[in-house]
Amino acid sequence: MNEKVAKLYGERLNRYMTALDCGKPDKVPVSFGIGDWIVKHTDNNFQEIFYDWEKSIKAVDDILPDFDVDVFGGGPTLWWPPMWDAMGSKLYKFPGMGLDENSTFQFVEEEYMKAEDYDAFIANPTEWIATTYLPRISTEFENPSSLRGISALIRSSVAFSEYNNYMGASWGKWTVEHGVVGQFTGMTKAPFDTLGDALRSMKGILLDLRRRPEKVAAACEVIVPHNINYALSGAGADTRFPCFAPLHRGSYPFLNPYQWENYYWPSLKAVIEGLWAKGKRTYFYAEGDWTPYLEKIAELPDKSIVFDIDLTDAKKAKEILGGRFCLIGGMPTTLLTYGTPEQVKEQVKRSIDELAGDGGFILGAGGVVMGDAKKENIMAMLEAAREYGSY
Amino acid sequence: MLTDTLAKAILDLEEEQVIVLVKERLAKGDSPLDIVESLQKGMSEVGKLFETGEFFLSELVMCGEIMKDAMDVLEPHLIDSHSGNKGNIVVGTVKGDIHDLGKNIVVMLLKGAGYNVIDLGVDVPIEKFVEAAKESKAPLVGMSVLLTGCQEAMKQTIDAIRAEGLNTKVIIGGNYIDELVREYVGADYFANNASDGLKVAKQIFS
Repeated sequence: MNEKVAKLYGERLNRYMTALDCGKPDKVPVSFGIGDWIVKHTDNNFQEIFYDWEKSIKAVDDILPDFDVDVFGGGPTLWWPPMWDAMGSKLYKFPGMGLDENSTFQFVEEEYMKAEDYDAFIANPTEWIATTYLPRISTEFENPSSLRGISALIRSSVAFSEYNNYMGASWGKWTVEHGVVGQFTGMTKAPFDTLGDALRSMKGILLDLRRRPEKVAAACEVIVPHNINYALSGAGADTRFPCFAPLHRGSYPFLNPYQWENYYWPSLKAVIEGLWAKGKRTYFYAEGDWTPYLEKIAELPDKSIVFDIDLTDAKKAKEILGGRFCLIGGMPTTLLTYGTPEQVKEQVKRSIDELAGDGGFILGAGGVVMGDAKKENIMAMLEAAREYGSY
Repeated sequence: MLTDTLAKAILDLEEEQVIVLVKERLAKGDSPLDIVESLQKGMSEVGKLFETGEFFLSELVMCGEIMKDAMDVLEPHLIDSHSGNKGNIVVGTVKGDIHDLGKNIVVMLLKGAGYNVIDLGVDVPIEKFVEAAKESKAPLVGMSVLLTGCQEAMKQTIDAIRAEGLNTKVIIGGNYIDELVREYVGADYFANNASDGLKVAKQIFS
């Protein structure tokens, strides 16, 4: 890292760390990633960006010199689809594989775990996942002890580790060449979402809350230690950066208040507190609207989360969580798609005026920024962040 | 206050009781259509509670499940009978998007309110929307989308409907839908929740 880059890296890191601890840095930190929106600015279609990691990395390499963000959210793909394809996974459709080659990936929701699987899952979740769930969701792994099954597992694991190594090296390069500071290390979920997303499905778990609520509670409880360990092991030994927690069914209006307080919140709170006890902060990625639950969220230990404002009432979030937890957000994702650079700049100014206050605020997009976001709007947001962001 | 015990059982989300009551009334020789009417009455109350914020999606999903089970029992008895139809509405999730939860809730509430819903499913090609709107002469077409990346498909579909000169109103719905999106895609109405969608239908068919 040359001196100039080292200085830049130090400034950005300091801004991020100060804001996470609710302090006031020299400037409002700005956080953004290279999402699907980059694809149309390359010579590639979605399938190429998803499947050819060199093309995906190049898309990032090309834009990074002009991408002045303090906190970098990463490249255009979450993972390399071949690791799923090797298993014949039924969970996802990818561009060019079950979907148009210019469409982003999608999740295929089914009741992959049946209601009658609860007892076996609760007794030993790891064993159940390995011996019942994986064969059920993977056409190549239907028979785990067959040569075909073992070979699929090996190929998938190799794909996973190859991709991780490649990404690790790319992040290293981006850091050294451009002073990039990553947004998080490690990942976790709310136990209710672990159970609801890819196991019982949305409809399944909502019906379970009426038909077998005690099973839902017991299953969430056994997931807690797994979700703590998963976050810590995925992050290596790092506790400086928060771990990413994409949250789903806790958003309003999926659950009624009784269900939220008794079935969603206790196990999520246990994961967050368990991580915080190890010094690891949670990136509370509150997709959707969480306004009705802000008071409950405020019960968490000070600074144990950074709260991502998507459709949550930003002023209320500031009022209830501000000062004790860092907030991130201020840019509605639809504005990046349908707005003009002028509107985006006005929004940045307004958000900084309303939310930046005494610190503990990071400017970022609320929710997922998708393929139709306009590059000129994103660049206008980054520019305006610097224009209006000095404390 | 509901005096109809079947409607009340729906409102209380008592799934076993609903099935028992439906079977009892069939055995008693009640007209299947009257029974459907009771179910609709209960469901419309559920819809109202959702509208006022007393019920949540978990209650709507449960209600949908109970209705489905009750209709499974009733369906063989309903053949040949014609329910009180308020009019045709075409509904689907636009091309490229395979999310169906929001769409299914809207479909359920519209059916409950007495509309004949032509549900095109998910990932619906542009031509299929146009064809269905043409054939059914539906005064209202509803398009659902979750992924903002698929909103462009919504615009193309609406353009195609307009190009055919069809005199149908279009309502779009989904999480990341707002006035900005409505204007961009050229829809007549937008809704972020099922009850707003229902209000628009009421307005159009009144």
